[in-house]
Amino acid sequence: MATTVQPRETSAPAVSRRRRLNITPYLFILPHLLVFAVFVGYPFFNGLYISFLQYDYLRPNNTQFIGLQNYTNLFTPGSVQYQVYWSSLGNTVEFVLYSVPFLIVIPLGLALLLNTRIRGSNVFRAIYFAPWALSGAVVALLWWWIFQSQGGLINYYLASWGVTPPRWLSTMPWAWVAIVVCTVWWTSGFNMIILLAALQDIPDYVYEAAAIDGATGVQSFWRITLPLLRPVLIFIVITSIIASFNLFIQPFIMTGGGPAQPGGGGATEPVMVRIYREGFERNLQGSAAAMSFVTALIMIAFSYANFRIFRERT
Amino acid sequence: MTATVRRWCLVMALAMVAVLIAACGGGQGTGTGTDGGAAATTAPAEGGAEATTAPAGGGETGTGGAALPAECANVSLQYWNPFTGPDGPFMGQIVDRFNQENPNIQVQMTSQAEYYIQLGTAAASNTLPEVAVIHADQVATQAFRNVIRPMDDLVQQLGMTGDDFPEAVWAAGEVNGQRYSIPLDIHPMVMFYNADLLEQAGISSPPTNSAEFAEAAQAVTGNGNNGFMITTGFPVQQIFQMLLHQYGGTEFSDDATQATWNSEAGVKALTLMKELQEQYSQPNLEVDAELNAFKAGTVGIVWNGIWQTTNLTGEGVEFNGMATAVPQMGDQMAVWAGSHQLALTQQANPDPCKDAAAGIFIRYLLDNSVEWARAGQIPASNSVRQSSEFLAIEPQASIAPSVESAFFPPSVPGIGDAFAPLGEAVSAVMAGTTTDVQAALDDAATRANQILEQNRQNYGEAPTGR
Repeated sequence: MATTVQPRETSAPAVSRRRRLNITPYLFILPHLLVFAVFVGYPFFNGLYISFLQYDYLRPNNTQFIGLQNYTNLFTPGSVQYQVYWSSLGNTVEFVLYSVPFLIVIPLGLALLLNTRIRGSNVFRAIYFAPWALSGAVVALLWWWIFQSQGGLINYYLASWGVTPPRWLSTMPWAWVAIVVCTVWWTSGFNMIILLAALQDIPDYVYEAAAIDGATGVQSFWRITLPLLRPVLIFIVITSIIASFNLFIQPFIMTGGGPAQPGGGGATEPVMVRIYREGFERNLQGSAAAMSFVTALIMIAFSYANFRIFRERT
Repeated sequence: MTATVRRWCLVMALAMVAVLIAACGGGQGTGTGTDGGAAATTAPAEGGAEATTAPAGGGETGTGGAALPAECANVSLQYWNPFTGPDGPFMGQIVDRFNQENPNIQVQMTSQAEYYIQLGTAAASNTLPEVAVIHADQVATQAFRNVIRPMDDLVQQLGMTGDDFPEAVWAAGEVNGQRYSIPLDIHPMVMFYNADLLEQAGISSPPTNSAEFAEAAQAVTGNGNNGFMITTGFPVQQIFQMLLHQYGGTEFSDDATQATWNSEAGVKALTLMKELQEQYSQPNLEVDAELNAFKAGTVGIVWNGIWQTTNLTGEGVEFNGMATAVPQMGDQMAVWAGSHQLALTQQANPDPCKDAAAGIFIRYLLDNSVEWARAGQIPASNSVRQSSEFLAIEPQASIAPSVESAFFPPSVPGIGDAFAPLGEAVSAVMAGTTTDVQAALDDAATRANQILEQNRQNYGEAPTGR
């Protein structure tokens, strides 16, 4: 596909395009465009429309156009939505800051270790990757059992070493520690596989040449490995941030959003859980749609900033 | 090389799946064990149940209870409920027996998780079952959301009245002056106690009032044991509601427009909970921690839902775990409770034959609710609760008197939303993120009032249909 499109773009600029439209490239993208339009385009615009309504899909006779009311609620201190929404969004951003560094550094370390071609590295690779194949509910439940206070694995061993264990799931900041540990265990394998593939693409002769010039292992890492991993690292940073923004199931199961805060909203309730509750427990789907759009705009801003930062440095 | 990776991934995945299946299998194994027991005890009950069924048929025919109108041939019914736990098989047996006894009506039962979301999507796509179980606190919401429909005519045909039910649970099925559901059971908050621990501490019978409770909890506390345990999450809101009512308060004003839990009674209730936590419990416990500690045998008393009975008593624990009614801590007896209610769902084209069949089926479930009691529920029907068969089932029989004092939330749509700030306030106080009880309850009431107002605008006066 790329070969048919590229020459046309370079060799035949404005002149031929004005004369007659060549539909061939559009036919090539048509299948995906259709799927995209039905499953992303339509929901997007329909969601935008719903966000201007008082809307519940089971009470169509009650639908009312209320303009920007759902949005102004989100920006009016003291409204029902204000405190819980911004507190949950803050929680999600907090989680992104806590989790993303670990989701880069730990997989990178694992990938470097596996890239040394030790015996049985395939086995380790499979082991590290395995958690990623589990569903989120299973992983969260597993770590709930490990962290829970009454005979949970971690507190049991901490107590037997004479350490007074914290209440991991119901006090701060330990609840974030538990959620981040669970997330890192669950999703590191995926980043590790991608980094490992990238490491294996770095040709050996670069390292050999460096070694002949007297470079140490540490120097090779900073001067060769990291720069050559750059494009892949950028990809991983961006996808990890987006994935962390979508935090839902770990706190949903492990802490239930708790511990509760006096002003409302749990200290570990992420914004996705808040939107879910607004839409499917309170049945205010218009308000939930508005929350989704505000959240999406913020995520887009984050991602755009990422692209700018990395592009400028390149 | 990638082939090797893939193979290893597969092996790992399979191993994990195997572990999970083994774990689940264990749970199901014990489940089937109790099923077997239930089946054995079911048989003798059958005769008695049928005897109570016969009058329901209105004497139209003598065979197998009520009869369908003549023009209706074979009717099939879909029946949904949220019984995905060990209670599901009990209900399944009742349905199976109904199908055997009523060859012209075939009921197919489906137990669903994420229940109200499933019902909502089914309503949107017009694929609702004919009969559904609805929780008491959801009846108004589901009525306004056009998931269930009024059944006054059917109730009249079946000759059912509120006389056979505690007033509060019957009232929970009425929305805007119309009847939307009939109560099947009441599942109250109960007191679980470790009889061995209490006995060692010199307490021979479970506490029934505030003074006895303090004595028992105090006696057990110490040497690594806790007399009483309470968490910072579920069910602290329900415990608060119970104590609030025991001190003479209510959650909402009579017209359900104002939250009233920040009353003197409310402050008393929450202060008492905090005191109990400080004196007998451990602080900052997560949800279910009290159950796990109780099962480990280091806790004297916990308060939780009756549905924990199989988990915390009998073969569920390695000591003498018992369940009984909660004590009266305040000035009057009151018990938090939920209730499963039976409702007819909205249909694009209601079929009189299916409605008649649904009526026969609902009547059958109520008349046989003594068997449902074996799943760990208290039948809502007074006559079933007073039957000798039910009185032989323990601990349900000794818990049953407390459901006379059960209270239910007002029958207005979205009432659950208004409880959310209360849950947060009670949890925050129990978690110690705030210490000012009055301020926390006031703030929660203010937010709940806003939610109630928002709901009134959102849901309107009456269901608007689709």
